[in-house]
Amino acid sequence: MKKSIIIFPLCLLFMMSAIAGPIKVVTTTMDLKSITELIGGNKVSVQSIATGYQNPHFVDPKPSYIISLSNAALFVTVGLDLETGWSPQLLASSRNSKIQKGSPGYVDASLGIGLLQVPSSVNRGEGDIHIYGNPHYWLDPLNGKVIARNIANGLERIDPSNKDYYEANLQNFFTKINTKTAEWVTKMAPYKDTKVIAYHNEWVYFERRFGLNIVDFMEPKPGIPPSPSQLVKVIGEVKANNIKVIISSPYFTTSSSDVVAKQTGVKELTLATSVGAFPEIKNYFDLFDYNIDHLIAVIK
Amino acid sequence: MTIEFILQKKYSTLIGIILLFCFSQSMAQTDSTATDSVLLKQVELQMQQNTAPENVPQQTRSGITSNPDIGVIGDFRAAYTSQGNKNFDAYLNETEVSFQSVVDPYIRADFFVSFSRDPETHKYGVDVEEGFLTTLSLPAKLQLKAGKFREAVGRINPMHPHALPFIDLPNAYVNYFGEEGLNDEGLSISWLTPAKFYQELVFQATSGSNVSPSFYRGDNNRFLYLAHLKNFFTLNDNATLELGLTGISGPNDSSAVTNIAAADITYKWKPVQLNTYKSLTWQSEIFYSNAKYAADKAYNSFGLYSFIEDQIAKRWFLTGRFDYAEKPYNNSIKEQAYSLTTGWLATEFQKIELEGKYTTSNIETNFYQMWLRWIFVIGAHGAHQY
Repeated sequence: MKKSIIIFPLCLLFMMSAIAGPIKVVTTTMDLKSITELIGGNKVSVQSIATGYQNPHFVDPKPSYIISLSNAALFVTVGLDLETGWSPQLLASSRNSKIQKGSPGYVDASLGIGLLQVPSSVNRGEGDIHIYGNPHYWLDPLNGKVIARNIANGLERIDPSNKDYYEANLQNFFTKINTKTAEWVTKMAPYKDTKVIAYHNEWVYFERRFGLNIVDFMEPKPGIPPSPSQLVKVIGEVKANNIKVIISSPYFTTSSSDVVAKQTGVKELTLATSVGAFPEIKNYFDLFDYNIDHLIAVIK
Repeated sequence: MTIEFILQKKYSTLIGIILLFCFSQSMAQTDSTATDSVLLKQVELQMQQNTAPENVPQQTRSGITSNPDIGVIGDFRAAYTSQGNKNFDAYLNETEVSFQSVVDPYIRADFFVSFSRDPETHKYGVDVEEGFLTTLSLPAKLQLKAGKFREAVGRINPMHPHALPFIDLPNAYVNYFGEEGLNDEGLSISWLTPAKFYQELVFQATSGSNVSPSFYRGDNNRFLYLAHLKNFFTLNDNATLELGLTGISGPNDSSAVTNIAAADITYKWKPVQLNTYKSLTWQSEIFYSNAKYAADKAYNSFGLYSFIEDQIAKRWFLTGRFDYAEKPYNNSIKEQAYSLTTGWLATEFQKIELEGKYTTSNIETNFYQMWLRWIFVIGAHGAHQY
């Protein structure tokens, strides 16, 4: 009887640990969620705060996100002040010391990224300038490898017993992203240096990887809505350079692009800035498949 | 000058350039093989470096210091009232300086120092508006706050006035808590309950030293106690509902006790995809006060406000508000007010608002007020509560 009293709770404890379930991960964006799922496989359960069709600069810090964060073992952020308007407040309210900055469960996916457009001085007169550099780095698929490495490091810190599993998934990810990147670059090669207009300054990594040439932006300065004088300037540039397309994102309205299109005949194309921007983009690879196929369809 | 006119003027001069550009483009397209192979070689080289950063000029991250985040908020106002002789004024209402940072792995600290103008003397004074620490690592989903802070009464009190969608404060709120709101030194403990929705229970004990119409710290050890229950429901991706209940008990200026019960409701509609272009908020709070001034003398009073804020364009907001208020020391004095505020947000660092308000009362003549407020921010500025 006494033995059973001791053994029963031990069995229960063992069973509870066995059915503890996957590691709870919260990411700020859908791209980080996708890569975490590819690396973490069945060992993780991942939730993204931002949707794929949402402006990651301006996510509303709803208290409901605090519940997810309070239960998370790992938090993955794009970093570089992309989420500065909302994620610090949510993290501070999470009451979860495991995922605070500096803790093992905090992953800054930007570590090791070769940053572009790092300002030498900061002046808000130039619009929404990112002080650490342009934060839209996940739009270069080869930067996806750095992101994946950072996420694998985070998973291995909090779950070292499954290190081999994460490393194997990481190598699979590297292999696939290498193959796919070569495929995407080859597809885009005939259109190297094609000039385009972009709505917001968020395509610099994509531009560099796939050889586009972004001539100007619809926003006169980052974060400042298009002004009439900027539209006139863009219309002139479209005509002067025979530009075929204005690329935008799902979270910007098309009213200003419509004006330019009406004046010049330029096509408007809403590309995906994140996984989940459109229903068919279910993972990080789909993101580039979608963007490259749709871009080529317009510029060819 | 129309866009068409400008384009016609430019067209003749640009046509040659366009033709030249088209020619160079077509030449570039036909000669793409060589450049493609170079690009592919570069990509292959980088792909072999599985985890190494890109082969681009490595740039140092800027702005990394151990200083706290520092921000300054200016609040410039012009005001008009149909009452009195001096009925127009323009002034820098407040300059708020914030210092915010994590202290160590266990706590963070937030300080807000206010340089504001006394409405009577017109002289500027300095005050610590808030200065508190917040724990980051207490167990059982608890969080402790200690210092001077705006207390957890419903929706308006915890917010700094510059973040509100109107310039003046609701009459009922001012009648119970004053222009400065309930803002005291003490301790606050909050607990995130295990409910499936967001539910937070807050308990606060403060000295009550800040003068407000309802509470006053006399020569005794009576503290001001407050409990607040916040319930937040996500109705769908685009809509949320918040329901809150607050109870406050504390000493008043007659060395007796005032008890206040409050309830708040906030519905927000903000489409996730276009959340910077469209939104609608309906928010209301009711206050019920039982103020004992002596053993046999107590007043019960009631007040409320309700507003709708409609984002009519990316930068434009329109807010209509209704106030009803009774004086806590005499509930036969009643007032109602109607106000309309229009706000233009140039960026997240600057907004201009214009408010008109009409007040009726059963003891004085009706009157009009108007305010213009220009809020501007330099330095760091964190997110406001949702």
